[in-house]
Amino acid sequence: MGWGFRNLLRHPLRTALSLAGIAVAAAMLLDMVMLSGGIERSFARLLLSRGYQIRVTPAGTLPFDAEATLPNASRIRDRLRADPGVAAAGAILGANVHARRGDSLLTLFAYGIEPDAQGIYEVESGRDLHRGEADGLLLSGAAALALGARVGDTIRLTGRLDPQLAGSGADRTLVTRGIVRWLYDYRGQRSVGLALGTLQEMTGRAAGDRVSLFMVKARDGVDPAALAAALRRQFPGAAVNSIADLVAAFRVRMLYFRQLSYILGTVSLLVTVLLVATLLTITVNERLGEIVTLRAIGVSRLHVVAQLVAEGAALTILGAAGGVALGLATARYLDAILTSFPGLPAAFSFFVPRADAIALAGAVLICTGTLAGLYPAWRASRLPIAATLRAEAT
Amino acid sequence: MLLALLIAAQLPHVAVERRLAADLALRVGDTVVVAATAESAGMRAVVGAVFEPAPDPASVLKREYRLRLHLPDLAALLGAPDRVDRFGITLEPGASADSVARRLNAVAFGFRAFPSRAIAAESSQTFLVVSRFHRAIAVISIVASAVFLLCIMLLKVEERRADAAVMRFVGVRRRTIFGALVLEAALVALTGSVIGTVIAFGAGALTNAYYQRLFQTSLLFSFITPGIVLFSVALSLLLGLGAGALAAARLVRTRPMVLWGRG
Repeated sequence: MGWGFRNLLRHPLRTALSLAGIAVAAAMLLDMVMLSGGIERSFARLLLSRGYQIRVTPAGTLPFDAEATLPNASRIRDRLRADPGVAAAGAILGANVHARRGDSLLTLFAYGIEPDAQGIYEVESGRDLHRGEADGLLLSGAAALALGARVGDTIRLTGRLDPQLAGSGADRTLVTRGIVRWLYDYRGQRSVGLALGTLQEMTGRAAGDRVSLFMVKARDGVDPAALAAALRRQFPGAAVNSIADLVAAFRVRMLYFRQLSYILGTVSLLVTVLLVATLLTITVNERLGEIVTLRAIGVSRLHVVAQLVAEGAALTILGAAGGVALGLATARYLDAILTSFPGLPAAFSFFVPRADAIALAGAVLICTGTLAGLYPAWRASRLPIAATLRAEAT
Repeated sequence: MLLALLIAAQLPHVAVERRLAADLALRVGDTVVVAATAESAGMRAVVGAVFEPAPDPASVLKREYRLRLHLPDLAALLGAPDRVDRFGITLEPGASADSVARRLNAVAFGFRAFPSRAIAAESSQTFLVVSRFHRAIAVISIVASAVFLLCIMLLKVEERRADAAVMRFVGVRRRTIFGALVLEAALVALTGSVIGTVIAFGAGALTNAYYQRLFQTSLLFSFITPGIVLFSVALSLLLGLGAGALAAARLVRTRPMVLWGRG
């Protein structure tokens, strides 16, 4: 390997350019490896952030994918909680509500929650709602800012607007108990949380006891996939999805990015192969005399091959090292672009830096770069000694 | 038979998306049961038409099936009579969409009016993000290509050291050697660009064929415009010429004996 490094130093400009080329290719490869697995990992991590491994939604829908709701929520919740494999189960209803701000109405997204079994927020300041606390309110930072509200403030929310009567219905006055971070909110989303029953009443969903979804946590030692299958049999009219099911559905939607990452990753590897192979081919052509002299004094073919392959490996290792830093920097930039997708949870990432991704990208690149040097090395080892020496001497 | 025809004539009609009709083996005249929720009984309806929805990039990845009903039928099915999501309004010729929207919003309660342009701008946000991502990837690709091209050109010119030395020994002027090397670089860049363009068209056709089949849509996923071709060829020519000139200038400045390997 040392011989390889020394040879590279003979042509600093050429080596520097090749290293720059390999570094950019390595950066792209690393980014694409992070992108290909990062989307799913980030999504799975987000879904599991509060430990709830199963979602029960109306048949044919994914959580908050449609306005469809499940009826008879209390009965479903009781049946879920009665299952020996279930550690916790909570219902959530999503709906729009309105609040007055000066002489205009602010539309807010409201979560109807059961505070004792919730997996969608973390309290940042103030306190959580108590069980059965019908007049408590939780605000996202953006909602608090838009309403100019703080913990302890009273806010009047409207559940329904009637354009024909030009009036509102189902108004409720609620007290802000806490500022929370809603895990699935997009950046700047104005969201509020209130007791499930209160939101059902405000939005006319109390009659059917309707909710958007249930989140279910499996007991320790219970396989969430097996529990999901059992619940699927119990609730044939609902869609029961484990995290793996949701990730699989999400994977279909993110197919474009995954395939793009495969294509660009392959192109990066091709660029590396071409660079290393071209450089080594020209190096071999320049050093024909040196190589056959080595052969003439008894150096084995294998040794010549090993030396040239080592040069390719040295070039790739150095390039890959530069590529890691460059790749991590560009990944942050690209992630900032993609996470600005409208409606995407703020906690979501497309490019997740992971040691295994860096190791995989590095290993693939080094293997590829090393293998790219095999052909020129093999060609060099097969040179006819006498004829080449004679040609070089003239 | 007659009774069945009479009953079918009284049933509401629905239009089924071609993809759904194909997957469920539905044909015009078939009777289906449509329900708002899985647990409800729903209503019987006759497939009155099979339609192809307008290609929509926003929904292609969701792969949702579409069904069209007459508004009163859907309202009855959902248990929300006389309720709608939105109205579409056609204005009198000469009326400004912005001012009408402003006027409606001033008197509105419980709804909001938007000019079509504003909705289009809002709904195209996703594509703007994708477009920005593509631009960023393109910049990285251009940087990688530029470095690659520079490197290859340098190596290519370096390979001509002996030729350049001989030309210098026999009295060929530096400027002539420089011109010859730059011309060679330009030819390489041009040939590469042409091959690259052919590969791009081939890859584009493959991409379109694959995704159109995958998503059963007529959307174009890869669209190579003359402007893109012109930009790519011009850029690669420029980079090739620049890299070739840089490497050639370095070569002609080197003493002939050094180029010959005896310096």
